[in-house]
Amino acid sequence: MTSNTEVGAEYLNNRVGPVMRAGELAEAVAEAAREDNPGKEIRVDDKRAYLRIDTDDEMIIRRTTIEQALGRPFNMPELEIDLSSFSGRIQTNPDYVRFYFAKRV
Amino acid sequence: MAVLNRTDWYDVARTTNWTPKYVTEDELFPPELSGSFDIPMEKWEAYDEPYKQTYPEYVKVQREKDAGVYSVKAALERSKMFENADPGWQSVLKLHFGAIPRGEYAASTAEARMMRFSKAPGMRNMATLGSMDEIRHAQLQLYFPHEHVSKDRQFDWAHKAFDTNEWAAIASRHFFDDIMMARDAISVGIMLTFGFETGFTNMQFLGLAADAAEAGDFTFSSLISSIQTDESRHAQIGGPTLQILIENGRKEEAQKKVDIAFWRAWRLFSVLTGPIMDYYTPLEHRKQSFKEFMQEWIVEQFERSILDLGLDKPWYWDIFLEQLDQQHHGMHLGVWYWRPTVWWNPTAGVTPEERDWLEEKYPGWNDTWGHCWDVIIDNLVEGRTELTLPETLPIVCNMCNLPVNYTPGNGWNVQDYSLEYNGRLYHFGSEPDRWIFEQEPERYAGHMTLVDRFLAGLVQPMDLGGALAYMDLAPGESGDDAHGYSWVEVYKQLRMKKAS
Repeated sequence: MTSNTEVGAEYLNNRVGPVMRAGELAEAVAEAAREDNPGKEIRVDDKRAYLRIDTDDEMIIRRTTIEQALGRPFNMPELEIDLSSFSGRIQTNPDYVRFYFAKRV
Repeated sequence: MAVLNRTDWYDVARTTNWTPKYVTEDELFPPELSGSFDIPMEKWEAYDEPYKQTYPEYVKVQREKDAGVYSVKAALERSKMFENADPGWQSVLKLHFGAIPRGEYAASTAEARMMRFSKAPGMRNMATLGSMDEIRHAQLQLYFPHEHVSKDRQFDWAHKAFDTNEWAAIASRHFFDDIMMARDAISVGIMLTFGFETGFTNMQFLGLAADAAEAGDFTFSSLISSIQTDESRHAQIGGPTLQILIENGRKEEAQKKVDIAFWRAWRLFSVLTGPIMDYYTPLEHRKQSFKEFMQEWIVEQFERSILDLGLDKPWYWDIFLEQLDQQHHGMHLGVWYWRPTVWWNPTAGVTPEERDWLEEKYPGWNDTWGHCWDVIIDNLVEGRTELTLPETLPIVCNMCNLPVNYTPGNGWNVQDYSLEYNGRLYHFGSEPDRWIFEQEPERYAGHMTLVDRFLAGLVQPMDLGGALAYMDLAPGESGDDAHGYSWVEVYKQLRMKKAS
């Protein structure tokens, strides 16, 4: 177990990204996260019911990349069907979704 | 005909403020309901919701979500998952379904208040969808447990709990009435959508979904994680609201509202989510401990977002961290001990293997809470079950309406945070609980806890039978040990081994 002083400092992080219900779309989003954020380390924490997909500072997920991963047309608002939560702030757009922080810590 | 891109028309379509000619602004937006904070109308119009959604998109996406959730239910209906589930897991479901769906109906009214009375057009749009979300949550979570009512009448409490004076129902109502039913639209945006929904709902709807998936209950896992996709969107109502308050010199008030909602949610979740994650969920299916889920969702994710929006850590942060190791163990012990007063069957969760797990996750557990359970176990081994049942009442906090409890053992340092107000002595379980009362004493002073009601003679006869009748707990509904004390056998055998 981690001591509570350490736990208490864990909020000092810059991790951003979606938390997806497990399934086909979650896998596609994880793939898009890797494709659309070159050079960044993408972490995927599989909690069986959900996948926590994150990276530091900023993450972009593009509609076309999800389409490639799924092999079928995809509208960006459909992301919400499995987007259970997310770290950081969100910016929604017809062609991409962006997760970010306004302030770095 | 080509359809315009959403970004080309969204702002125009939802900018629906106009200049009233026949009524004043205060008549159109009564301050008590709107929450003006002396911020002029045009400043509210700067509200820009980050998670944009239009009505046609909403309908399409929600239809997809429901199709998914109902098909999982239909596909697994004949799997006998529920019948074969450990009684501890069945208790998780009973507790969840009693505590949540009727609160969701109430939340749709709170969203409707923002939909009608907020001065920010973007907020009204998001809250329109939010209000429909909450109706979906109430209906789903009343429909899913309904199939079990004929097998087990404790499931009837999905519909019934909020209409009773059962103590956990009183505590829930007091909290939700405070943050969402009895506040203006702006405060609801801050306290319900930001303070509660971006934080603690993730514990119950995603953390618990992970445990549910481990337990093989994919119907429940799919249901609650789908509900959380709605929350994920409409919880974003709060962020821009906070931003406008901060930009207009109202940071202190905004901070206070977040601090109140956060603390009150923490107290309620220490009795709602803590015990089911660390004691009721069968050991082999526990994905993480309650504390680890709290660290993931509340410390690393929620607290970080508070900082990003320009607010500070709550002043009671250290008290909160200290309680992370402690509070829910006491709540669990209390719920199990007062088990006839709840609508589910509490799991003790203290077999030797489970105690090893608790000791690993919470070092020192055996030396503190373990001692209390040792006494209970001794009594059960000796067949003195009556000594493990309640004869007296706990001291209940006048804010969270939950028993005042502290860690037993050598570090025993119980403290009653009391306060005299208008000639009456009030008792609180912690400094933040008392602080919340002090911010607006007239708001809280008239409420009577269950124990206040007992002492005022409202519960008759003044014994357990009278209390159960007051709480509407009929035989067959009133809780008992989830496993019918079968777990005590292992301790009997250990004794016999020791004696031989």
